[in-house]
Amino acid sequence: MLQLVFLIPIIAGIAVFFLPVKIGRLAFIATALFHLFVTALEWFHVTEPLHSKYFSNTPEGMLVLAIMSFLFLFISIYTVFYMAEVEMTKEPIFNGSMLLFLGAMSMVAIADHIIMLWVAIEATTLMSAPLIFVHRSKASLEATWKYVLICSVGIALALLGCFFIIFSMETSDLHVPISFSSLNGVAAQLNHVWLKAGFIFIVIGYGTKMGLAPMHTWLPDAHSEAPSPASALLSGALLNCAFLGVYRCHQLMFNAGLGDYSSNVLIAFGLASMLVSAVFILNQTDYKRMLAYSSIENMGIIAVGIGIGGLAAFGAMLHMIHHSLVKSSLFLSAGNILLGYGTKSIDKTRGMLRLFPKTGITFFAGFAGISGFPPFGLFVSELLIILGAIKAGRYVVITIFIFSLILIFAGASRLVLQMVFSEPENDDKLVPERWTRALPPIILLLTSLALVIWLPDSLYQTIQNAISSIGGTVNG
Amino acid sequence: MIHISNILLALILLSVLLSLRSNRLMALVKLMAFQGVVVSAVPLVLETAHGVNFNLVMFFLLLVLVKGILIPGLMYRAVKWVVVDREVEPIIGYHASLFAGLIMIVFSVYVTNQLQLAMLPENHKLLLVAAITTMGAGLILLMARRKAITQVIGYLMMENGIYLIGTALAKQMHTQYVVEFAVLLDLLVAVLVMGIVLNDINHTFDDVDTALMGQLKD
Repeated sequence: MLQLVFLIPIIAGIAVFFLPVKIGRLAFIATALFHLFVTALEWFHVTEPLHSKYFSNTPEGMLVLAIMSFLFLFISIYTVFYMAEVEMTKEPIFNGSMLLFLGAMSMVAIADHIIMLWVAIEATTLMSAPLIFVHRSKASLEATWKYVLICSVGIALALLGCFFIIFSMETSDLHVPISFSSLNGVAAQLNHVWLKAGFIFIVIGYGTKMGLAPMHTWLPDAHSEAPSPASALLSGALLNCAFLGVYRCHQLMFNAGLGDYSSNVLIAFGLASMLVSAVFILNQTDYKRMLAYSSIENMGIIAVGIGIGGLAAFGAMLHMIHHSLVKSSLFLSAGNILLGYGTKSIDKTRGMLRLFPKTGITFFAGFAGISGFPPFGLFVSELLIILGAIKAGRYVVITIFIFSLILIFAGASRLVLQMVFSEPENDDKLVPERWTRALPPIILLLTSLALVIWLPDSLYQTIQNAISSIGGTVNG
Repeated sequence: MIHISNILLALILLSVLLSLRSNRLMALVKLMAFQGVVVSAVPLVLETAHGVNFNLVMFFLLLVLVKGILIPGLMYRAVKWVVVDREVEPIIGYHASLFAGLIMIVFSVYVTNQLQLAMLPENHKLLLVAAITTMGAGLILLMARRKAITQVIGYLMMENGIYLIGTALAKQMHTQYVVEFAVLLDLLVAVLVMGIVLNDINHTFDDVDTALMGQLKD
């Protein structure tokens, strides 16, 4: 049953609030495992297909769900050992909210009804808010307030967009259920003016959540102030969910014959995000904020890739997978750095390789991965996007694209090299390194490497099915 | 003949203008409760042409419970907790906000006339005018006030406006109670979460003034 995917985490999440800490931890990891199991059942279509008005099993949804479920398992293991070090008093609330957050995100991945998708995306905002202000410091409260208010207002605008899309159907005297699957069937008859207006509002609304510039202002604050396991989940899973909302509407636009229009909108927002993050990453003093800006950049890359279409759409989907793996790994490493040095300032975290060799290596490898260096998957995906753009004749777009990539690499590498290779100021270690916290980021990085060497056939097929609805192909 | 729906729309506009003028947080909360009840009644009145059925009435009661009682109740408690009860030094003054609200009405009439909505009945067009004004005024409140509570009220007003736009445009929305209920639940949880954060902000900063928060920037 498809709905189990969100029902289980929600029920478990509520239970964890009330369970004693130790049993709660076990339940937390057990739920993560079971979620991965249910996702695998759905991925291979083991259970019988579901006939629901509100939910359906789509290739793009499955892709997002599978990434999320895989990440969550390793993040949950990391969380348990991380929380043991920080001695948080509110651990059941944190773990419970993580599970509720997973439930809301899973609901996004399988939602088919337009408004249900909206409800699920709004729910992700609300369920993740407690994760950010769990420390109750001034900065984290400010970050939470910005996050909840900016995202709620943005998502409210997306609801307006949903109404416009429903209206585009009603003005044409069509009466089909308002789910994406049935609307895609009658897309050609929808009223174009209202559909365009709806798409703009939805891109602004869900784009706020996805971190597209200029609506990204909440993202660096929320991602840097949240505890590191929550940041990893926000960056690796939540942004993909918001992207899924935009992607579903892009599919609808493509089917309605307005693909060029929606592509150009996506490319414009994508390039703006890349340029904005390139500018702000240059003078960062906080390594978690640096990673957050890098997430904005990568969401921009995905938007550009989907906008260009063809081969680039395949690249964008690959990029989504690898970005999630590498970026979560980086945020988990950042959590280890924060534990070891007790500060988020780049200037005060020198000499990582000598003081914390495991973390230093994973952080540097993750940085190489996120910058698009060869053994990692982001190299392949960025190359495919660039090739796709050249095939499509989008030379101006690709010039700006490559320019921003170089700028971001130049800005971030200066900071990261200083953190990893310089001489430490002193040999103080607040919390020593442990394998239990070093392994999850390493495994995530190795998964990204493994997927470059061997892309399983069913994954390849799912990506192809997901992009075929916007005219994307590998051979195009 | 004055249709009853027109009276409701006039009441909504009145509550919008009053809330732009008001500087007392408690008065704002009461206005929100009033507006919530009126907004909930709009679908009931509009649909009378097709006959009122049991589901519609039940849903009306649910809407009143959430928008008229629960949400204002939560806001009421939040205001009680907070020491200050006035909005001091708004970013945009009260007279200017009120004037902006009036301009908003003119603008909504213009927009509604520009959209070629020949197929909509006449009272739906008036509804659209009220709806766009409410949404715009909510945005004004969000941006022009510094107290976090007023910002939440601005968000609620914007949500009311969007709900009314949905009522005017998307007929199918009102036949799917599961979905509408889910949207309502989201709104309620949103206010609950905002209330919890508000409470913590008040504890930590001794105020709910968002101008005090400015640590995070680039």
